[in-house]
Amino acid sequence: MTSFPETNSIETGAAPSRWRRLSLVVRKLYSKPVTAIGTTITVIFILIAIFGPLIAPYGENEILASEARQPPSIDHWFGTDNLGRDVFSRVVLGAREILVLAGVGTILAVISGTIFGLLTGYRGGWFDEITMRTFDSLLALPALLLALLLLGTVGQSKYSILIVIIIVYTPIVARVVRSVVLAIKPQGFVEAARLGGESQSRILFREILPSVLPTLSVESALRFSYAIFLVASLGFLGVGVQPPSPNWGLMVKEARVYAGLVPWALFFPALAISLVVIGVNLMADGVKRIIGSQGQG
Amino acid sequence: MYAKLSNHRFHFPVLIIALAFLLQACAGNTPTPTEPAAQGRLGELRVAIQPIVQTDPAFISSDPEIIIASSIYDYLVDVTPQNTIAPRLAREWTVSEDGKTYVFSLVNNATFHDDTLFTAEDVVWTFNRLRDPEVDSPTRDLYSNIENIEATDRFEVTFTLIDPNPFFLYDLSDNHALILKADTEEPGSDFIGTGPFKLVSYNPEDRLVVEANEDYFLPDRPKLEGVEFIFFNDQVAQSEALRSGQVDLVMLLSADLFNTLVGEQGIIPLEAKTNSFDVVRLRADRAPGDDPRLMQALRLATDRQAIFDLVLQGYGALGKDTPIGPMYSQYFAEDLQPPARNVDAARQLLSEAGYPDGISLELHTPDTGNRPNLAVVLKDQWADAGIDVDVIVEPESVYYGEDGWLEVDLGITGWGSRPYPQFYLDTMLVCDAIWNESHFCDAEFDGLAGVSGTTMNEDERVEAYRQIQELLIERGPILVPYFFSQLGAINEDFIDFQMKPFPGRSDLSTVRLKQ
Repeated sequence: MTSFPETNSIETGAAPSRWRRLSLVVRKLYSKPVTAIGTTITVIFILIAIFGPLIAPYGENEILASEARQPPSIDHWFGTDNLGRDVFSRVVLGAREILVLAGVGTILAVISGTIFGLLTGYRGGWFDEITMRTFDSLLALPALLLALLLLGTVGQSKYSILIVIIIVYTPIVARVVRSVVLAIKPQGFVEAARLGGESQSRILFREILPSVLPTLSVESALRFSYAIFLVASLGFLGVGVQPPSPNWGLMVKEARVYAGLVPWALFFPALAISLVVIGVNLMADGVKRIIGSQGQG
Repeated sequence: MYAKLSNHRFHFPVLIIALAFLLQACAGNTPTPTEPAAQGRLGELRVAIQPIVQTDPAFISSDPEIIIASSIYDYLVDVTPQNTIAPRLAREWTVSEDGKTYVFSLVNNATFHDDTLFTAEDVVWTFNRLRDPEVDSPTRDLYSNIENIEATDRFEVTFTLIDPNPFFLYDLSDNHALILKADTEEPGSDFIGTGPFKLVSYNPEDRLVVEANEDYFLPDRPKLEGVEFIFFNDQVAQSEALRSGQVDLVMLLSADLFNTLVGEQGIIPLEAKTNSFDVVRLRADRAPGDDPRLMQALRLATDRQAIFDLVLQGYGALGKDTPIGPMYSQYFAEDLQPPARNVDAARQLLSEAGYPDGISLELHTPDTGNRPNLAVVLKDQWADAGIDVDVIVEPESVYYGEDGWLEVDLGITGWGSRPYPQFYLDTMLVCDAIWNESHFCDAEFDGLAGVSGTTMNEDERVEAYRQIQELLIERGPILVPYFFSQLGAINEDFIDFQMKPFPGRSDLSTVRLKQ
């Protein structure tokens, strides 16, 4: 099994700095047009999420009573909705909510899934059986249905959405990590560490985890894109977020009522969802390809 | 090598959505002509409605439940779209000079759907059931003023009241007061009425189908072969079904949705002026609403005209913080005005009430009609005065479930149109009102409502209603920003449909298919 640092070491002949590693990854991501587009879209949306309040010309719930239902113009790039709110400002300011919810939820799900995957894969036995059968039962339900059931149980709030993302995606990440661990476990360096008296946690996190990281990075990117879709879908279904939140899914839900008259209020948030999901997916494909080529190399 | 299409799992939802739009665009708008039937009846009307829960007339409440029940059963007296009382199973009536005795002559040619003849005993049994404490129908209080109900002839029934009630005929036309056959054992599932349509089938998850009652006592009615009430959970889906020709009639549309149907070929938009309103109310019996200055501040921070323009888009009338709207022309005090928007004055009142840095409140609202939009606009307007609102939109069943709406401090509630204003005072604003959601209790108000609800002198009632409006504008617990029109749309192939202010009470027996 080959990991990022090892591959880079071979290329450069010495352990490269973090910045050098990052620049290498970026260069790889931009080596193919499709991946470059995906990465650029993702970066742009992350920048919008960070600097949104500086970019948006109006507040997310600022009602311009005399300018309701205006088509896109110089003053309102994406037009205004049925209540006179600037759609561009709401799309820009909504980026933070959706990316933060999906991002934080994904990070926590990946951490939790990794811990479960490492433990079940390495320890095996009854712990593995019980944990994985429990996860299998969760995976038997479609993600959105499971999310709706959980939101109905834990109540509806942004924190509930975070919990839902963690519960929905932890089993998937755990299963992926476990499969890698099962492949690594019989290898000599793991056995050597165990015979050398290293503790279980040290073997898991120092010896095995580095080999899991490449697969985990691809899985994380994929989970992130699905989490974005999940947050938007829950917003569209009207659960977990409340008006007048600029959640893109909620914006689409509200705008579909009058889509025939004010189509721009539906089009731009829907476009934003599509772009960010497509962008993250393309980037994930790129990461997967880079890792695949390194594995072969 | 670039990733193959099959690797991009995100394409599938996009494809499905695109296909859905394509299918929608391809769908045609086709009416439903059917074969000519006996007695000149022609066609079947397909009505899109929300699913129903209650089928027992004593407990129905929503428009869909009421329009279905009033197709199968009949009222003793009915209310016209102009809010006047009209005969139905009662042909005519007389009222004693003291206003306490009402004698109704009934039609003698009406039969129930099982061919039993309709008589005065059925009326007596129905109204006794509606006021029976064991049945506990919502009408129990409404009919508590009835001393006795007696069948004084086979086709004559006499009501004796404890006190005079100038609105008694309207009370008899209450939504629940549909006449059932005496001794009906299962009022929720028998569906045996005298109405213009008879039940054919009922699938709670799909539709309820009725056919014309060939023996209906009103001549030449109904004019349709039947009606299909098709259940839709979603208002957008209802309007799309009308647009694509899958249904013929939709009602209870929001202004946004209604506007998308205006100008559509083959569709006739319907608007009925009503006294329906959304009330924003603050609980007056506990902090923070027990300080009337807070409600006054909310009123001063509200721009009613902007709300009317944005939320109703002109379909209705401006409200004046009382439930007595312009539809009650004889009682509506046109010259009275609530205070105009004054954000500084609102801030000052808040400061005097102990909130110099503003106040945070939760505003609960059901997810139906224009209420979520009203909540969003109020949040924006009130923010200018330092009132920070968290909007909590809940499904209607949750908002009204387990009386939660009566508990929350600040809420928005929709009130349907009634033919007379006393209903709102008695059920919503007097101290012991059954739905006193603001927990308002004012001795002067109760005194005035008592006068308006019992006096047989019309001038005295007009004056009482005027004083009630003055009092509510000055210190009432409610904000009524508008009265909304009821909006709907019908396939142009169907004519003679008149939507009533309470759409569930619209009469489908007059509707006919254009030939």
